[in-house]
Amino acid sequence: MSKPLDPRLLRRARSARTYVLLTSLLTAATTACVVAGAILLARALGPVVTGDAHLADVVTELRWVAALFVVRAALGTVGERFAHRSAVRVVAELREQVLTHAARLGPRWLSEHGADTATLTTRGIDALEPYFVRYLPQLLLTAVLTPAVLVVMAGLDLVAAATVAFTIPLIPVFMWLIGLATQRFAADRLQVQQRLGSQLLDLLAGLGTLQAFGRARGPARRVRELSEASRRTTMQTLKVAFLSGAVLELLATLSVAMVAVGVGLRLVYGELDLVTGLAVLILAPEALLPLRQVGVHFHASADGVAAADAVFEILQTPVARTGHMTVGRVSGVEWAGVSVRAGDRGYDAPADLAGVVRPGRVTALAGPSGSGKTTAAMALLGLIEPDEGAVLVHTPDGVLPLREIDRAAWWAQVSWVPQRPVIEPGTVRENVLGARRVDGETLARAAAATGLDAVVRSMPSGWDTLIGQGGVGLSVGQRQRLALTRGLLDPAAVLVLDEPTAHLDAVSEEHVLATITAAAATGKAVVVIAHRPSLLAVCDDVIQVRSSLAPVAVGS
Amino acid sequence: MLDVDARRVVISVLWGSLALGSAVGLAAVSAWLIARASQMPAVLDLSVAVVTVRALGISRGVMRYLERLSTHDVALRGVVNLRERVYATLADGRPDAVAGLRRGDVLARVGSDVDAVGDVVVRALVPALVAIVVSTGSVLLVAAFSPASAAVLAVALAIAGLASPQLATRAARRAELGTIDARADVAASTMTILDGAAELTVSGRLASAVETLRRAEARLAAMLDDAARPAAWAQGLGTLTTGLAVVGALLIGIPATTAGTLAPVELAVIVLTPLAAFEATNALPAAAVQLVRSGGAAVRIMDLLDRAGSAVVPASAADVGHAADVGHAAEVGHAVGEETEPVEPSGCGTRAGHALVPGSVVATGLSCGWPGRPPVVEGLDLVLEPGRAVVVVGPSGIGKSTLLLTLAGLIPPVAGTVLIDGVDSGDLPHGDAARTVTLTAEDAHVFDTSVLENLRVARGDVTPHEARAALRQAGLGDLLAGLPEGLETRLGADATALSGGERRRLLLARALLAPAPLMLLDEPGEHLDTDTADALLRDVLAVGRDRGVLVVTHRLAALEGADEVLVLGDEATVGTLSPRAGRSAGSTLVS
Repeated sequence: MSKPLDPRLLRRARSARTYVLLTSLLTAATTACVVAGAILLARALGPVVTGDAHLADVVTELRWVAALFVVRAALGTVGERFAHRSAVRVVAELREQVLTHAARLGPRWLSEHGADTATLTTRGIDALEPYFVRYLPQLLLTAVLTPAVLVVMAGLDLVAAATVAFTIPLIPVFMWLIGLATQRFAADRLQVQQRLGSQLLDLLAGLGTLQAFGRARGPARRVRELSEASRRTTMQTLKVAFLSGAVLELLATLSVAMVAVGVGLRLVYGELDLVTGLAVLILAPEALLPLRQVGVHFHASADGVAAADAVFEILQTPVARTGHMTVGRVSGVEWAGVSVRAGDRGYDAPADLAGVVRPGRVTALAGPSGSGKTTAAMALLGLIEPDEGAVLVHTPDGVLPLREIDRAAWWAQVSWVPQRPVIEPGTVRENVLGARRVDGETLARAAAATGLDAVVRSMPSGWDTLIGQGGVGLSVGQRQRLALTRGLLDPAAVLVLDEPTAHLDAVSEEHVLATITAAAATGKAVVVIAHRPSLLAVCDDVIQVRSSLAPVAVGS
Repeated sequence: MLDVDARRVVISVLWGSLALGSAVGLAAVSAWLIARASQMPAVLDLSVAVVTVRALGISRGVMRYLERLSTHDVALRGVVNLRERVYATLADGRPDAVAGLRRGDVLARVGSDVDAVGDVVVRALVPALVAIVVSTGSVLLVAAFSPASAAVLAVALAIAGLASPQLATRAARRAELGTIDARADVAASTMTILDGAAELTVSGRLASAVETLRRAEARLAAMLDDAARPAAWAQGLGTLTTGLAVVGALLIGIPATTAGTLAPVELAVIVLTPLAAFEATNALPAAAVQLVRSGGAAVRIMDLLDRAGSAVVPASAADVGHAADVGHAAEVGHAVGEETEPVEPSGCGTRAGHALVPGSVVATGLSCGWPGRPPVVEGLDLVLEPGRAVVVVGPSGIGKSTLLLTLAGLIPPVAGTVLIDGVDSGDLPHGDAARTVTLTAEDAHVFDTSVLENLRVARGDVTPHEARAALRQAGLGDLLAGLPEGLETRLGADATALSGGERRRLLLARALLAPAPLMLLDEPGEHLDTDTADALLRDVLAVGRDRGVLVVTHRLAALEGADEVLVLGDEATVGTLSPRAGRSAGSTLVS
């Protein structure tokens, strides 16, 4: 079972450590106020009830009672403020860590876990906010205030303290028992939520497709089923999760009732004075309040802990080892018998790939659809580790396996234009150049070479037009021209292009082909994934990529 | 919005009031019991109080449990209703309402925004009603002993229950409405990093994407901080008002007791009852903040629903001139001439007034474009009917995809008409166009489910036998043989398990299975090797003999199976040529 306060949270999130420390201090101060306030209130009230005092006799106590309420209010305000601020920071810290780690885990891991990670980082992780704002302070109060109040109560009236103290050990026992069940349920629920999230997202992403087939309405029932399933699972979790809260509250309130009855009976027999009785009566619920609150926020904790577990499961997934060597000048890249398993489909694509890419030359990866051309490119880029064979980097000083080379250093040497390039929210110029500084003429030349200049001219603010996530407003072809321009302006030694002319017409294609040849002439090693004869024609070398399956039959 | 059941809400409020009422009752009766006991009466005098205290000690926990369960149930039922409605409205609405959204936004709208609206019940509606019931009860209880003290309690409760939630609301509204945008920004940045992880890593742009995320997070944090401030003040105000009620009760009660107008036992009751009475009102500032937060989410959802349901605003006539470069059309025509030989357009029967064949699509004087943007194609006449294969050729970015969306009845024409099976596309009930014509877009979605279910997108009752036949027809026979679980093999998120070519073939197989007599295919040969693409295009055009097919491509090979080839030029002009007869391409362009 996970601990209520996961030590990994404190290790991983700096904000969490500061938060726990400061909240502990605030908690101690609050405790002092509560104890002093209860005793002073009893002293003000008791003598008047017994007829031993007038207002003038208890004015000092009254002033103190009022003052302590003010101090408590201030402490509460500060604590709440701080809790929110820290929670937001912790969530942000963890989200960033998960995303950067997921990116390092590579395309294979993401194809399997991408949708779940999306749900976790956009929604699931927010469960940590109530965990930090509501649950954790109460947990600390339970650790500090409850024992302190009990000690004071024992000093006042041993029997009442014993009544409450007797209840308290029962609470963790019940919490533990019920917590066992809740943990499992909450983990299930998060799973259901993630599944629901992935499926809904998938349905929405495909809405356009469904509309094109006139079948967008059908899945509405599926959405309802998914939501209903989620509701039922959630209610089942809550029945159990709230049960622990209910037992806590029952025990807590019942023990206050027992203290009241016990104190009452001993007062009747004169075993106790009224001031002590009142102080005990006021303190008893205060001792149990944090425990009750822990119960109230138990499901917040269970969700938070489950989310934290999901976060750490990702963060603790080992990343493929990166080497430490650096390369100065690349004189060639070689696939030496590279095979990569095609998912769980039981064959290799590519299979036993061999070939060398040289600077100053355009090398094509050719082969039928599904033979593993893109995967071969990813192996060269160091994104996928070959299951067999190796990618070798030739340098003037010798041949190095890619896995011995520092990934970041390698990525500085390569530039990649994938089939579906990412467009970041921002202007066209920002997307093409990033942080790079390029003079206007070079930029214009590159844009003219890829045909991006025509795209830019058709836009309302030219280079400064804002384009959205996923390139809303840009067609696939336009997006690719943009990425191609970006690739051309990258000074990297190796340029990898995934079907660079796929979305271009004959005239634009000629421009781009000339540009590719020109790029090679500047000494770049250019790798293109090629289908078209026109593209293959400009390549200096052609490497045939095959999968271990029989070649796909051509035509019918 | 949530369609919550009022009866269920009343039951929840009842349980909640009984739970908190038990707490107030427990405080009042315990105070009475102890004060009375100190006067050393006969034990029998206390027995009723003793039993009551014990009963209240039990009932509180039980009632609270029932309240929480029934409240959450009401809320979750509402969430199910709303989520379905959001989906159904988007499904029935304009395709561009969805296409115009970022992926993270869609997730936020259907996910957390709907949840936020559901939270209104749990965190705002029920607690507010419970607070009203319990506060009224507490004031009445104290008033029975000391009206003056009850007045102080009422004022204190009113401050706690009205002023502090209002304080929270006013400040929170400002920050929270901004927070929802900031959250969507964070979600969108998150999706950018996840979707483009590999490319961003290699190009070294991951750091800048993370930086974008950080900026979004910082903005979000600042706004959340702003939103939390009033909530914190309200929290402090809760403790202060409790103090006010207790000290007030003492200041009023002590002289009254001394004067003999208030029994000593009653003094204990009016002083200690307020300690428990504020629990209900202390939940209200948070409830108010929740109301604002959910209100923002509700506005966003309604906004999306409105957008999806609204009528299209046609582009203004002034925008019409902007289409693109002059002269490009001739170049394309020239390229066409190398592989195919054009004829006079008049021979091709694409004029308006063409005799209607059942199950046909007839475009007359069609101008199309994305709503609110300049038209990309103008003055197009086109007839597509069963048994006819039409190819539209044009350079990339010329608006071929927009033309297809218009012909499929998914977006309205900017000018001219599209008759689908004889009915104007604008008058067709939603989804009816798909009975006649289906569109397979270039970026058509492959769902994260089995191969078979993906084919069933075209038609719900596709049998495994039909599915296999279609896959073979699309050239996926070998792939099918290699799949571990055959048709039941799951394809993974966005079909990442398939290569680009396999993906295109799967989409073709799907289009072949659609019941509509006409199919529109956007670049079916993209990402296929040349031989396969040509073979595929020939197959597609051959299938067009049985149904009607319109293929959009920028490649000019393998067009001999087409009955008609339309060339889109850059000036949004249209040329028509036949693949068989021979004239120069330049003369066939019609403006």
